[in-house]
Amino acid sequence: MALPIKQVRATEVGDLISVTIVGGYLGAGKTTLVNHILANADQRVAVMVNDFGEVNIDADLIRSRDGDTISLANGCICCSMVDGFGAALQTITEAPVRPERLVIEASGVGYPGQIAGYAHTPGLKLDGVVVVVDAETIRANLRSEYIGDVVRQQCVEADLIVLNKVDLVANPDAVEKAVRKVADVSVVQARSAHIPLGVLIGLDRSGLEPSGAPRSAQDRFRTWMQEFPDPVDRLSFLADLGSASDVLRAKGTVRFSEDPNTFFDVHVVGKRVTLTQSDRPWPTPRLVYIGLRTT
Amino acid sequence: MTEETIIYPARKVITMNPAFPEGQAVAVRGDRVLGVGTVDELAGWGDHTIDDRFADKVILPGFIEAHTHVMAGGVWQFPYVGFFDRRDPDGKLWQGSTSIDEVVDRLIEQESMMGDPSEPLIAWGLDPIYMPGERLVAKHLDRVSTDRPIFVYHASGHLGTVNTAMLERSEITEHNQTPGVVKDPDGQPNGELQEPAAMMLATSAFERLVVAIGSQEAKWGYANEAKNTGQTLITDLGTTRVNDPSQVEAWREVTEDPTYPARVMLAGSSMFGGEQDPDKLAAIVNDLKQEQSPKLRFGIIKIVLDGSIQGFTARVSWPYYFNPPEGHPGNGLWLVPPDQVADIVTAHHKAGLTVHAHCNGDQTAQVFIDAVETALERHPRWDHRHTVQHCQLTTPAQYRQMAALGMNANIFSNHIYYWGDQHRDFTVGPERAARMDACATALREGVKFSIHSDSPITPMGHLHTAWCAVNRLTATGEVLGPDERIDVQDALEAITINAAYQLKLDHDMGSIEAGKLADFAILEDDPLAVEPAALKDIGVWGTVVGGVAHQAGTSN
Ligand SMILES: [Zn+2]
Ligand SMILES: [Zn+2]
Repeated sequence: MALPIKQVRATEVGDLISVTIVGGYLGAGKTTLVNHILANADQRVAVMVNDFGEVNIDADLIRSRDGDTISLANGCICCSMVDGFGAALQTITEAPVRPERLVIEASGVGYPGQIAGYAHTPGLKLDGVVVVVDAETIRANLRSEYIGDVVRQQCVEADLIVLNKVDLVANPDAVEKAVRKVADVSVVQARSAHIPLGVLIGLDRSGLEPSGAPRSAQDRFRTWMQEFPDPVDRLSFLADLGSASDVLRAKGTVRFSEDPNTFFDVHVVGKRVTLTQSDRPWPTPRLVYIGLRTT
Repeated sequence: MTEETIIYPARKVITMNPAFPEGQAVAVRGDRVLGVGTVDELAGWGDHTIDDRFADKVILPGFIEAHTHVMAGGVWQFPYVGFFDRRDPDGKLWQGSTSIDEVVDRLIEQESMMGDPSEPLIAWGLDPIYMPGERLVAKHLDRVSTDRPIFVYHASGHLGTVNTAMLERSEITEHNQTPGVVKDPDGQPNGELQEPAAMMLATSAFERLVVAIGSQEAKWGYANEAKNTGQTLITDLGTTRVNDPSQVEAWREVTEDPTYPARVMLAGSSMFGGEQDPDKLAAIVNDLKQEQSPKLRFGIIKIVLDGSIQGFTARVSWPYYFNPPEGHPGNGLWLVPPDQVADIVTAHHKAGLTVHAHCNGDQTAQVFIDAVETALERHPRWDHRHTVQHCQLTTPAQYRQMAALGMNANIFSNHIYYWGDQHRDFTVGPERAARMDACATALREGVKFSIHSDSPITPMGHLHTAWCAVNRLTATGEVLGPDERIDVQDALEAITINAAYQLKLDHDMGSIEAGKLADFAILEDDPLAVEPAALKDIGVWGTVVGGVAHQAGTSN
């Protein structure tokens, strides 16, 4: 029998908190990824984890600890879901300083797409679903009688797959190919879940300013900008985005020729494209992309 | 000797002690049995009082229910709208609501008795699986009230249906994107809320449910239902957080009341906010075991590994589900990664505790059985009695492996009656449905087993679980898998001595023998003499717990 959980509401009107779900089977590296986010975030990120047990937060970083919540010196908070999803969500949405982003760790056998449903709670908006996959074990896991269907479904529900531990396999590209056969999803290879945060959880607003030059100049990734001074055709715009295989994320504002006076915010994670009518458009419509450097 | 000796003559005492199967009377001193025999034989113990109140009754060992949940007592704070007739802890019979109109009529009647119009009306037990055709939605509930918010909690625990007033109060509109908010063809929410993400939108109802389930009244209702149906020990399998001292204290408070009519065993569990680290959880349970009292026991761990068969969320082996609903992913849900189970089991196994794992599907049972085998390889230990709970689709080969490993089964026999037809037609198909809840196989393969109700999922009452195991009749009256039927004697062992064994209480409970606790089920008839088909209809006078008699609530 399932126990009910309490509903959560945003307590103050303001920016919606952008929610990224991190899924993936046991051992894929979700916790490493969470640790990486907490240690390197330069935005106020809240993370909901199943259990503090494996989260490894540098003692120097911890500002305070209160039951199920750890506050970090860099403004991030980490909250355990031991008391239930609803309680953790409430702690975060009612935090004295609201986080800009929320990362929710799905259970190793959970379906992250289902959790994404919670991102429609008032006060939140969905960023995307990131699924971490262990390059060493994924092929065996996909064949497993017990968990093959689960791992497959997790991949299918991803907007972005982090193919982790590629340093431990001889031919990462072959593994990536096997994963792509399962799910037609953007894949990023990684070691120790080390991926620029802009790719994992998105750029903050300042990252969209032209002066806010690419933050992640790390070799494999690049960011670039495209301006759309004139309204564009909606269908071909969407088609172009969908076929841009090097784009992992994009964010910005455009106008469509069918309705040139309305600005739309564009949010792209992998193949997921979300358009919402903009209330704070940029003076010059533009998109900022993060993608893989093609060699 | 300061304690008084009382001799209870009876129509018959059925002891479940094979060396002394029956007697005409039982003598009790303090909270223990002095002996079984004739009144004359028992008079040999010296000064005594004869108490004739059970002279025309049949006395059995108190029934032991090794799988229930305390919310069974909490849900009765709200009106019942389930399909089957059901008795509440006060003994009142609630007629089943077999159609949408009957559900609505029941709610109208309840609504008319409520004051404050802003107070939501909450009801529970709805199971649409029995009401083919139109589904209950907001517009039906609007016939009950357009002002008062209404929330109907389904029997499965996974769904709720609300009226328009609740949709409005909870601001659930056509714009709501939460998955599980079911909408009609023109995009308006129709009142059905599926799974927690959607259900939690109806805050006002949820908060009241949570409070009800954790209340002291729930604990009393839980024990009263036990008393009414002959149980003297009930097991709260993972609902209470044993790592929360205030919750344990609340249990101590009720169980120390001499009028509290049942013994309770609380399982340690990481569910619902319990301790997540298995080593720490095991240490907590071992500490509590040191401080256990006559009516509050510890020593077992509950883990939950998959979902339910009727919800198509149990993990089943090939050929998987028979006739699943459209869009079903093909197999059920794991609640714990299979690769983690051996480590969790090992932690508790090493700590000397017994692990009770919820395994509805056969794939799940295999993962647990293999985990026990791994734990035994890592840490050889005799007499662990690890138990497959529900054990619904466990195969003969799995029972053989369980026997070899010294494992127990607690079989969900009530499923045959409540969902047997659905299992045959929809979930697993005729052949596997016929071998579900395989008591005869367990017996044949030498696995000690108990049977259970999982109350509140099905009503508590061991005469019913035994009747199911013996007759295997479904709700539509068909025999499901006649070859898995067992004898009444075997069923009685399952609900007494074998259930006690499973909980490591068989030295003290489960049979009526000199030296054991004076825990009895007092029946109006002899289960070994009535027609097996009438087993469930035997009247229950009440129970005796530690020598204290508790009469069942009167029915009306
Ligand atoms: Zn269960
Ligand atoms: Zn249960």
